[in-house]
Amino acid sequence: MVGQIYMKIRCPVLSLVVFGHMICDGKSHVSFNHEVLPILSKQGCSQGSCHGSPHGKGHFRLSLRAFDPSLDSHTIFREELGRRINLIEPSKSLLLLKPTMAIAHEGGERLKPDGYAYNLIREWIREGCPTPVEDNQCVELEITPGESKLLKWPEFSLQLGARATFSDGSSRDVTRLAVFTTSDENIAVVDGSGKVTGNSRGQVAILVRYLEQVQSIRITFSRKPEGFTWKAPPAVNYIDDKVYAKLRLLHYPPSPLIADAAFLRRIHLDLTGLLPQAEVARTFLSDETPAKRSQLIESLLDSPDYAKYWARKWGDLLRLSRKQVGESAVYKFADWLERSISANQPYDDFARDLLTAKGSSLLNPEANFIRTTINAEDAMESTAQLFLGSRIQCAKCHNHPFERWTQDNYYGLTAFFARIKTKKLGNGGETFIWDAKKGEVRHPVAGRHVAPWVPDTGAFVLPPDKDRRQVFAEWLTKPSNPFFARVEVNRIWAALMGIGIVEPVDDFRDTNPPSNEPLLEELSRDFIRSGFDRRHLIRTIVSSNVYQTSGESNEFNRDDTRFFSFREPRRLEAEQLVDALGQVTGKPMNFYGVPVTVKAVHLPAPDLAQRNRSMIGDTEFLKVFGQPERQTVCSCERAGDAGLGQALQLFNGKLFHGMLTAGDSLFRKSLLAKKPLPEIVEHLHLSALSRFPNEKEKAIALAYLEKATDKGKALEDLCWAILNRNEFLFNH
Amino acid sequence: MLGVQVDAAPVSFSKDLAPILLTKCQSCHGPKKAKGKYRVDTFARTISKGSGDHPGFTPGNLDESEVYYRLTTDDKDERMPSKGDPLSGEQIALFKRWIEEGSTFDGEPDASLASIIPPPVHPKSPVKYSSRISIQALAFSSDGGELFAGGYHEITVWNPEDGKLLRRIGNIGQRAYAIDLSPDGRLLAVACGAPGLYGEVRILDAATGALVDVLARTPDVALDARFAPDGLRLATASTDGRVRVFEKHNQEWEILKTFANHSDWVNAVAWSSDGKRLASGSRDKTAKVFDLESGKRIVTFSGHSGSVNGVAFHPDGNQVYSTSEDKLLALWKIEDGKKSRDIHRFGAGAHKIISQGESLFITSNDRIAYEYSLKDGSQKHQFTGHDDWILSIAFDSLKKLVASSSFNGRIHVWNQPDAKAIHSFVALPGYESEKPTEN
Repeated sequence: MVGQIYMKIRCPVLSLVVFGHMICDGKSHVSFNHEVLPILSKQGCSQGSCHGSPHGKGHFRLSLRAFDPSLDSHTIFREELGRRINLIEPSKSLLLLKPTMAIAHEGGERLKPDGYAYNLIREWIREGCPTPVEDNQCVELEITPGESKLLKWPEFSLQLGARATFSDGSSRDVTRLAVFTTSDENIAVVDGSGKVTGNSRGQVAILVRYLEQVQSIRITFSRKPEGFTWKAPPAVNYIDDKVYAKLRLLHYPPSPLIADAAFLRRIHLDLTGLLPQAEVARTFLSDETPAKRSQLIESLLDSPDYAKYWARKWGDLLRLSRKQVGESAVYKFADWLERSISANQPYDDFARDLLTAKGSSLLNPEANFIRTTINAEDAMESTAQLFLGSRIQCAKCHNHPFERWTQDNYYGLTAFFARIKTKKLGNGGETFIWDAKKGEVRHPVAGRHVAPWVPDTGAFVLPPDKDRRQVFAEWLTKPSNPFFARVEVNRIWAALMGIGIVEPVDDFRDTNPPSNEPLLEELSRDFIRSGFDRRHLIRTIVSSNVYQTSGESNEFNRDDTRFFSFREPRRLEAEQLVDALGQVTGKPMNFYGVPVTVKAVHLPAPDLAQRNRSMIGDTEFLKVFGQPERQTVCSCERAGDAGLGQALQLFNGKLFHGMLTAGDSLFRKSLLAKKPLPEIVEHLHLSALSRFPNEKEKAIALAYLEKATDKGKALEDLCWAILNRNEFLFNH
Repeated sequence: MLGVQVDAAPVSFSKDLAPILLTKCQSCHGPKKAKGKYRVDTFARTISKGSGDHPGFTPGNLDESEVYYRLTTDDKDERMPSKGDPLSGEQIALFKRWIEEGSTFDGEPDASLASIIPPPVHPKSPVKYSSRISIQALAFSSDGGELFAGGYHEITVWNPEDGKLLRRIGNIGQRAYAIDLSPDGRLLAVACGAPGLYGEVRILDAATGALVDVLARTPDVALDARFAPDGLRLATASTDGRVRVFEKHNQEWEILKTFANHSDWVNAVAWSSDGKRLASGSRDKTAKVFDLESGKRIVTFSGHSGSVNGVAFHPDGNQVYSTSEDKLLALWKIEDGKKSRDIHRFGAGAHKIISQGESLFITSNDRIAYEYSLKDGSQKHQFTGHDDWILSIAFDSLKKLVASSSFNGRIHVWNQPDAKAIHSFVALPGYESEKPTEN
């Protein structure tokens, strides 16, 4: 039989050039773990939407981003009787035919014949698909050029390099094996070779991943627009210094500072959730004391409304609802939060209380945080999201694809919560919480127990009877903790400025860097120095120019979405809106289960009213405007978006209509009391917009009212018009 | 050849176009996925309309041929194939000329593309094997003098007693998944194919290796082929989820029946001893029994949790044995599809069942080959010695030899009565354990 030799073994001189590290000694050359799997990951084969999904694609399943090499070697080389590999003619392997589209491939073309990745895989097959046990681990990944880089137009491109160091001391260039991703494609893109190209001014993080190592580099792109000149008021405090430095670098001039009326309305809404009363507005606007803004800040921070409103913010995050903790605990836990804020309890103390609480959920209301978690994993995930600003959930099943958390880390953190026990006592929804003396977490893949572990310290060796939650809380609240202060500082900043320095506020990761790192750093340093004094931090922020900057943008800063050159206006929160409508019309909404004087922003829980069917229409209003159900610890549960339902509610919704047409509304009572029309119009403006009406507004309103035969109806119309203005509907 | 015009012969749909449609188009426009409600898996469907306004092809009219427009347009969103490079200039020219020549077709319009493409002449097999490839098919000649084994584009034939290569039969699909000998010993059926490219069952003259027929041509490999006890019928199992039955008319094998009841690859088929029924095992995790007379499926057994790799009838005709990826050898009743019992749990997934004489022979990835009593399921022997997955097994009842082949290309031979190892050899011609470092 005539045949031919298909494979001739050549001295891999060519390979020497291609792979750089080979030796012509007949030994295995291509590393499955260090080259083949990373390249498959880089080409996207093992990503979550393709063969890396839990069920794979087309009966071919790879571990997500190659986190399980032994499974992958089995799948590629042996599964389905080895159909994916052709050892006699490597280039006829299904593993190469599919991604080059020589055979139609649902996932499209992923490899170029004779490209770097293709040759690497073919070479590995030619060598017989060796998958030796790999003891040599990648221990360090180094990115050139360093940690951050400023690029000035027109030099908007940059070549990155990646170098890996292994546990045996060797190191190699892995630029062509590493995966590069950008945090914002609008600002800059990065290609497979590590070349970054800027699209517009701004800031991105480029994440570089090789095996289990992840590094990132921050790149700022600066471009001066034509006609730009820098102009900013003198800085009030370090916040202005840090923000202006960044704005100047990016050529975003800040918008002008706001007038008294705008400040009055903004500070009231942000600190108490409520609009200033008409009389408060009148007094403040005519007050000529130079320090009246700082005096107002102080008095609001000392007010019960401040404590109630900021306690509600924590209620949102701590799942404070009847469904989660039961009727009795709702009031007790809300009260506990309010007292904590009112007494200005230091934040570290506050966190320790929540994390280490034991005993009865009614006697120790702070124990309700642990009570709302289902198990150790959930307790850890909630804690991580609230206090470490990390959405670590993904790492439960696989190494986190976008950042440093590994599956080992996930279970190491969970180990701190492994011994929590709860028991329902049955009377009034009381739950008892304590810690067992034993209890470990088992790694789902490795099957072994995982020791308690934290990011900057590593694994803990603890005496068996040591209270693990206590250890965790101590680590968490240490001034040197790299997460704790930053997360809370950022959360407070976002509450006041409308957007976090890190956004979303509970999603700190390398691929989502702060928009202004020096600002975040200085704020948290100040916060720690002050003894975790939240009131001090709020005071510092709201006293700055940056806070007191207008909500209107100009031609140079219009496209700034995250550097604080102007304060982004946002729609009133659901409860704020209901209270504001109630204040202006004099017909506040009533809620089931609480005294009639309780305002919406002070409600202990969102689900108290549900037993009273006649109230359904009204609670619907709050839901439509994004009141959260408080079923998760995610700050994203409160929706700030707009929708048709909201427009309809404000057009003629049941609640709003009822307030406007009530016979005993504020303006109808004024009419009955024979107050002059100009006075009523002025009052409406002060109450709704915290300012006097201007001449034009006055003229239009009075002309309309005087012409009308039914003055009450006409006032209804006027009121409706004012309450549908963006100036009313927004915190600006 | 100078001066001879290529267009002397008109473009053939089956020879020239079908292979292109099959490899470039059918994965998105086929029975599994029909994007744009358009399919190319038969001639009739290829020329029909999808969800658009124009038919796939209109004889003599390029403008009214949607496929031609899709192949040639500059509009990236419309051009096909949508996920790869455009077809080559020569390929597009073939389509153009075929339309201009009137889009003729001389075959069966509803036959599958894979079946109308003329059987390929396969590439030659390597003189020397450079790598240890798996051997997935094995069979003894009727006199026991020859052992047929799957190779690369060939069947290699060995002397079972000394492991010497006797001859090589070429022109076989890339990999052989099953070899079966007709009861009279004259014919070989070889289920073969190349993963993702094609599958077929070849009928060969066992003595000369001459090609008799090519059957069951599919877009991916054929996994099993078994002659009926009377030798006049052949059942095949393919990755298109179908069990096909062919019948011999003189020298021709003609399709008698197709069972399309499985939703995934069919791994194995087996005949009942009276030749009236067929059992099949599939990657859809079920086994089924079909009645040839009525053409109906009688029962589905869903008791396995993994791909069903092997099936065999119990001699009482009322029960079926099956093996699976789930490591179990199960016995179940045809009457109700309920399990009678688990016969054995292997250390790993198990493969095809060879039922011969009074025994069942089964191999497993646990590196052991097993023999069971066909009648009561008791284990008779274990054959050990392999150092890798065992994929295939054969039994010679004359000389009482058991042979099995492995994932790393080795064949072991044992004396059946005492399960004593006779010898083993790498059944890959010319393979040298020390790879040459230079040519």
